[in-house]
Amino acid sequence: MTTRLSGALCRAFSIAALLAGAATVAQASDNKIALIPGGPHPYFAPWEQAAADAQKDFGIAAVDFKVPSEWKLNLQTELVESLVTQGYTAFGIFPGDAVGINSTVEELEGAGIPAAALAGCAQDPTKMQFCLGTDVYNSAYLGTKALIEAMGGKGKIVHLAGLLVDPNTKLRMDAVEKAVGETNGAVSIVQHITDTDAQEAADQKINALLGAQKDQIDGLISTAYIPSVVAAKSLRNLGDKRIKLVGIDDDPIVLDAIKDGFAAGTMAQNPYGQGYVGAYVLDLLAGGGCTVKADAPWIQTPQTAHFIDSGTLLISAANIASYKDDLKKITSDIQSSFKDKYLDCK
Amino acid sequence: MTLGQRLIANEWSAIAVAIVIGVVGLAATSPAFLTEFNLYVMMRSFCVVLVVAFAQMLTLAVGQLNLSIGALGGLVAIAIGGMMEVLGFPIAVALPIGLAIGALGGLINGLLTVRTGINGFIITLATASAFTGINLGITESIPFYNLPSAFVAFGTARLSAFPMLLIPPVIVALLLALFLARTVPGRQLLAVGGNPHAAQLSGVHMNGIVVLAHTLSGLLAAVGAILAVAQLGSAQPTIGQDWLIMSFAAPIIGGAALTGGHVSVAATALAVVLIVLIQNGMVLAQVDPYWVQFLLGALILAAVGLNRLRAVRAGEA
Repeated sequence: MTTRLSGALCRAFSIAALLAGAATVAQASDNKIALIPGGPHPYFAPWEQAAADAQKDFGIAAVDFKVPSEWKLNLQTELVESLVTQGYTAFGIFPGDAVGINSTVEELEGAGIPAAALAGCAQDPTKMQFCLGTDVYNSAYLGTKALIEAMGGKGKIVHLAGLLVDPNTKLRMDAVEKAVGETNGAVSIVQHITDTDAQEAADQKINALLGAQKDQIDGLISTAYIPSVVAAKSLRNLGDKRIKLVGIDDDPIVLDAIKDGFAAGTMAQNPYGQGYVGAYVLDLLAGGGCTVKADAPWIQTPQTAHFIDSGTLLISAANIASYKDDLKKITSDIQSSFKDKYLDCK
Repeated sequence: MTLGQRLIANEWSAIAVAIVIGVVGLAATSPAFLTEFNLYVMMRSFCVVLVVAFAQMLTLAVGQLNLSIGALGGLVAIAIGGMMEVLGFPIAVALPIGLAIGALGGLINGLLTVRTGINGFIITLATASAFTGINLGITESIPFYNLPSAFVAFGTARLSAFPMLLIPPVIVALLLALFLARTVPGRQLLAVGGNPHAAQLSGVHMNGIVVLAHTLSGLLAAVGAILAVAQLGSAQPTIGQDWLIMSFAAPIIGGAALTGGHVSVAATALAVVLIVLIQNGMVLAQVDPYWVQFLLGALILAAVGLNRLRAVRAGEA
């Protein structure tokens, strides 16, 4: 009896919740959307919450975060194919391989399944509907400018970069060099240290750098997640606050280094916003009601002609307590204006 | 036999010569090379690689390969991280359990190899995937950060240029040298690798020895994982991803026979020193990032070639 009563109450609450949900959600949909990173990486962890929030906020049947077991193109494409057979109707993909992913996206397009590049772009020509990610060139440029400012406008810097095979690494190197070039020789680059995306490799290379040249270096600009963490930790171990560090992303170790003065700042990206807005837009596209505008204000990048900046900002001691609110506002702004700016809807 | 002939007969002599040349060259070209902090950084870099090289060396000794070293190391790393951060286990409890997990992983590799009769190459290739899968399933690629401060402090502690982290690998090296040279299972291990048929006719329990080699290999992978976690200050799911190539490079530069039966603790240890020296030199020399991998490969190849030349001169070939 008690069970039946509680069951009835549960059903009543469920119906009430559904009705309430229907009132607040603009348009419930039957779409099943998958957000797929290139492989396991802490950067993408916020996508899981973004997927859950987007599913709830936009009344989508399912938004799931699915991670390939390794950073390999074939594992990512096999995962996509497997999800297609399970009835997924749209995909938000971080292209682990910017060119290699395109054949899979073409197959999806052929089957009427839209895909968008999130966090990183596929190389044009591509059937990706758009690319929503960090403008890596701009982020590296702004980060280097912030570093130069923290160094007092002069000195020698080292650039810590990610995977050399990632085309974005070259963009970041160019951006760092541009910012340095604007100092008219007051700042110089000692070297670019690359392939520091694995923790142990980063530890070995960064500590070797500090061991040999710490007295000759005035600043470190890191444009990848792992070396930012390792550099922050190494400077703390060294007890060195003279060398200025500007990293990327908001790993707790980097944030603690900013609080304690071992890092000048870090360039925040917006992984949550990429997942959240990506799922929202993919739902609109998968429903068939909307298509992307050809003449929308896309940003042209070396990789694609359909880029949208998901937002970046410098986290420093001044805004470390409030930067998450700033990112939320950026996300909200992109989401609320996306339909009008970038889509044609029936 | 002259001193020179005796020296050239030692399998570590060519590597030692390469190390001396490297040290002199780097010291001459980069004044920072011999600073206390740089020496500390280099010695700290030996720690994990040394133990990982020994882990592979043991399976090479019986003529097998262990492709799951890195994956098992990663699993142990996140296991001890999870035990200390999430379950609140003290260091004295978490580390022995971590070692047991490593030994168990190795035991599974060994048992599967001898019971199925399938080559260890295939078995460990499969278990590597399984270990990585468990790692990612548990962590979802999020590291464990909040480790006991005493444990993390051990990873960075040093006495002048000597890192405390180097103490366990040195102990492991001494015990391993003793095990292989002076104990019955150690000699049997080399006998099985050198001539399995003769070893079997001598009454050596072949399967038991292969299982022992894999179990010890797993145990050493766990030691490497613990050192890596202490060194990095967090239990990263990516620990072990870069181990495989170095695990083979060091024993092979050190003259280990891929067919089994011949390994050298001293030469393997010196090979690790040489590899770390090359890596350190790359940073000091500010090599163009697009050419780092090529130079690293070329220099390692040169080291293998030098040792091969020594072996030919010494009449070993």
